[in-house]
Amino acid sequence: MTGLLPARVIGQPLERADGMAKVTGTATYAAEHPVPGLTHLHPVQATIARGRVSAVDTAQAEALDGVIAVLTPANAPRLASTEDPELAVLQSDEVAFRGQVIGAVVATTPEIARHAAGLVQVSYVEQPHDVALRPDRADLYAPDKVNPAFPTDTEQGDVPSALADAAVRLDQTYTTAWYHNNPMEPHATIASWDGGDLTLHDSTQGVTAVRDTVAPVLGVAPERVRVICPHVGGGFGSKGQPHVHLVLAALAAKAVGRPVRLVVTRQQMFALVGYRTPTIQRIRMGADRTGRLTAISVDVVEQTSRIKEFAEQTAVPARMMYAAPHRRTTHRLAALDVPVPSWMRAPGECPGMFGLETAVDEMAAACGLDPIEFRVRNEPERDPETGRPFSSRNLVACLREGARRFGWAHRDPTPRARREAGWLVGTGVAASTYPAGRIAGSSVTIRFGPDRRYQVETAAADLGTGTWTALRQIAADALGVDYAEVDLRIGDTALPPASVAGGSTGIASWGSAVLDAAEAFRDKFGANPSEGDEASGGMPDNPHTERYAMHAFGAQFAEVRVREDTGEIRVSRLLGVFAAGRIVNPRTARSQFIGGMTMGLSMALHEQSVLDQRFGHIVNHDLAEYHIAANADVAELEAHWIDEHDPYVNPLGTKGIGEIGIVGTAAAISNAAHHATGVRVRDLPITLDKFLS
Amino acid sequence: MDFLSPTSLAEALAAKARQPEAVPIAGGTDVMVELNFDQRRPSALLDLNRVAELSEWTVAGEHIRLGATVSYTRIIDELGTRLPGLAMAARTVGSPQIRNRGSVGGNLGAASPAGDTHPVLLATDAVVEAVSVRGTRMIPASEFYLGVKRNALAADELIAAVHLPITSAPQQFAKVGTRNAMVIAVCSVALALHPEQGRVGAALGSAAPTPRRALAAEAFLSAELGDTGQWSAPRPLPGSVVTRFGELVAQAAEPIDDVRGSAAYRRHALAVLARRTLDWAWQDYLRAGHGGE
Ligand SMILES: Cc1cc2nc3c(=O)[nH]c(=O)nc-3n(C[C@H](O)[C@H](O)[C@H](O)COP(=O)(O)OP(=O)(O)OC[C@H]3O[C@@H](n4cnc5c(N)ncnc54)[C@H](O)[C@@H]3O)c2cc1C
Repeated sequence: MTGLLPARVIGQPLERADGMAKVTGTATYAAEHPVPGLTHLHPVQATIARGRVSAVDTAQAEALDGVIAVLTPANAPRLASTEDPELAVLQSDEVAFRGQVIGAVVATTPEIARHAAGLVQVSYVEQPHDVALRPDRADLYAPDKVNPAFPTDTEQGDVPSALADAAVRLDQTYTTAWYHNNPMEPHATIASWDGGDLTLHDSTQGVTAVRDTVAPVLGVAPERVRVICPHVGGGFGSKGQPHVHLVLAALAAKAVGRPVRLVVTRQQMFALVGYRTPTIQRIRMGADRTGRLTAISVDVVEQTSRIKEFAEQTAVPARMMYAAPHRRTTHRLAALDVPVPSWMRAPGECPGMFGLETAVDEMAAACGLDPIEFRVRNEPERDPETGRPFSSRNLVACLREGARRFGWAHRDPTPRARREAGWLVGTGVAASTYPAGRIAGSSVTIRFGPDRRYQVETAAADLGTGTWTALRQIAADALGVDYAEVDLRIGDTALPPASVAGGSTGIASWGSAVLDAAEAFRDKFGANPSEGDEASGGMPDNPHTERYAMHAFGAQFAEVRVREDTGEIRVSRLLGVFAAGRIVNPRTARSQFIGGMTMGLSMALHEQSVLDQRFGHIVNHDLAEYHIAANADVAELEAHWIDEHDPYVNPLGTKGIGEIGIVGTAAAISNAAHHATGVRVRDLPITLDKFLS
Repeated sequence: MDFLSPTSLAEALAAKARQPEAVPIAGGTDVMVELNFDQRRPSALLDLNRVAELSEWTVAGEHIRLGATVSYTRIIDELGTRLPGLAMAARTVGSPQIRNRGSVGGNLGAASPAGDTHPVLLATDAVVEAVSVRGTRMIPASEFYLGVKRNALAADELIAAVHLPITSAPQQFAKVGTRNAMVIAVCSVALALHPEQGRVGAALGSAAPTPRRALAAEAFLSAELGDTGQWSAPRPLPGSVVTRFGELVAQAAEPIDDVRGSAAYRRHALAVLARRTLDWAWQDYLRAGHGGE
């Protein structure tokens, strides 16, 4: 690949192709597909955090009019594979966390199912549970790798001596809270069997991945499973992999011989569909007198569930952000009697960059340097971990452009120096980063239709991110035709397979395959195809992957107001500048950036899943108590990007923008809060009482 | 579950007498949450939305008689100048949707320690009109709140209205929340000046098992203002008085640590809110030139 695909339709701020259907309510979401003979499932969840189900009395539930079946570990059909303990539902009587599914009621209406689920009487043999994450636990262990396949620990040089010799030193611990993905659309599945064929209407970030994961669990050949999902009401990673409800719906549909619908309730989501682990990050840094880092050390402690390991790669961004000859990172896990953690927008980078970017702010101050200048001084020439050059690295450009737009030049660095009518006002900055990767496995078919339009097909997903529009724009340029001449079909395993919409890899992966298919099509049929002409393509290997470090970067600026006498904190301004390769659709891209930043604001100030250690459950398991930033919490919010030409990442030059917006936001806000008040809050969320103690 | 939908107050009271366990539903912004979360499974719901008498407000002499189901939105739009403290509290409730549905009758029925109207009702000497087939009881707000989510209503009683004095004297309400809207108060304070009685009303919310008056703070400030002739010839208040008032309001609280804030934080913030509301109210009083009265 030499040059990038020339952009003609790419780069236009087109409206969402699916926008009208969504706002008029005609877009069908998973639970809305009309399926004749539908029945409804409500799970029964464990009310203990560890132990065994000793008896289940289903008599009262079964006696209820409208109840079709009550499933328990005793009578549920066996699964073909129980290798994944998260998905091995109703296969044993063990309880590994509070809220785990231990039964299910299928009934003629959702109301009856729910009522009956409450009538199921469960007895337990309870064992003492352990849900406390502490950095001093004796049983912390090093996982074999961290998500998805990074080394657990890294070490270069001699960190202890470098720290001992450093002119300026930092040794602080930063913590992030337990967070739950809360997309607007709760997880939902309709499962219907037709003989040995299974159709799943599921709300998912990847129909192909769902099929390939679930088929062996159910003991069905993948080609006999069809997964359909044209629209997703958000996922943020929690719909990236199938969770227990999907298997449960399929199992129950098999058991009752009728289609089953399962809509996970908001409260059930807090136990069943993944979450972000809390993290404890001890960060040590050393610098010389000129503000050049000599050592960076990040030791992370976080949790996983006893039954299934998920290791958030929290320290990974510290491996590539700044230059320093001596560096180390470690991850240690506590396996607890808690629900299974999973992906949540920017796993690793999001919590990791809170610690790192707050620490950098502290170091800059300790060195007497402006935090932007400090970052510029510590720019690495090559990826510090691999020694490879960056395919493009425009962090400094983002910092400078952000500073210009934000008005950083006039900032007085003294903390607690600006007061406006009882409010302390401060500004802060932090860097963002996210890897620019691709996932293999997508194919695309292009067919010339009877209406002389090009039908482009792949099982990709649009979880609100804009795939319906952006991929069609790419197809138009790849074929050299107008946007209106392209029809796109996605979200169905009846189409050619596609990789999961995760890791901000969607457009880069599917788009590469679209390009490959378009080239194949033109090679075969030229510029004047006939009806029915068809060609396919996949994602070609990228020889540059082994030669370059590929990452997107950004800089986020925050203005924060803290009421001097009560500590109430408000973010009056957020501004982000990103360098994320080529932007396919500025309108939907902007929405990704400001959505990510808003979620970062939410993480900084509001979000926190509160664990009741006595019972092992999340107390604030609904949107009334699990606060997510709402319109009134977001004042001025701007996202910009710089033109970035990266010929190495992929033939489109895109880097992925779904996650970077949440990375660094919380640090920018905590740094601004420190500038406003002189109080350094190292534990999220930043709540009002932390400014007064 | 029975759904009773009376169309007059008499019918509603008869139904409540027959089925005292029936749960009244006005705006439903508390009741529906409880039903959805299965915190409550009443055998009957008593819908008050068709009872016209409950959704009106009238002027009765020196008072406004505010029907139990008048929405927050209407209080803000229609009574903002006559019931300034209540309107201020109403503006901070939930979101536009919640303010369109929610009512003071419902806030009283729920009797949450965090309900936003309670401190205002206490500070302004509001009286709850409780009715049943047995007759009418006038219950001062200060005797209405009995415990966490417990109030003084008998099983067969409904709240018909709340009586609040019409005033041109300054009233204030202030609340600390962890975000800008849709937020349960971390703590709140209401203050009402009663120049005609030479008295100050002050109350706090979300910082004790019930909303409650800050009696010592009221007494201190009332005495201070009276002794120094401030009601007829108001002058700027000495800082020491404002500070002491804040301390006394904070002392009236019995806060707990919870997700929204620590007990220590609440005490601190109550003192701030008390000082703030007093400063604002007194500035209003000075500005209105009450000295000449
Ligand atoms: C999203 C959301 C945000 C909220 N934000 C706030 C807030 O910021 N501040 C706040 O104070 N509250 C808030 N609330 C709670 C609620 O809106 C208020 O308490 C409101 O005043 C309830 O009024 P309602 O008419 O909806 O009451 P309902 O829900 O109809 O009733 C509440 C209780 O009062 C009883 N009741 C109702 N009317 C009568 C009557 N006439 N006689 C006897 N009993 C009666 C009911 O039986 C029930 O127990 C919020 C609620 C939600 C869902």
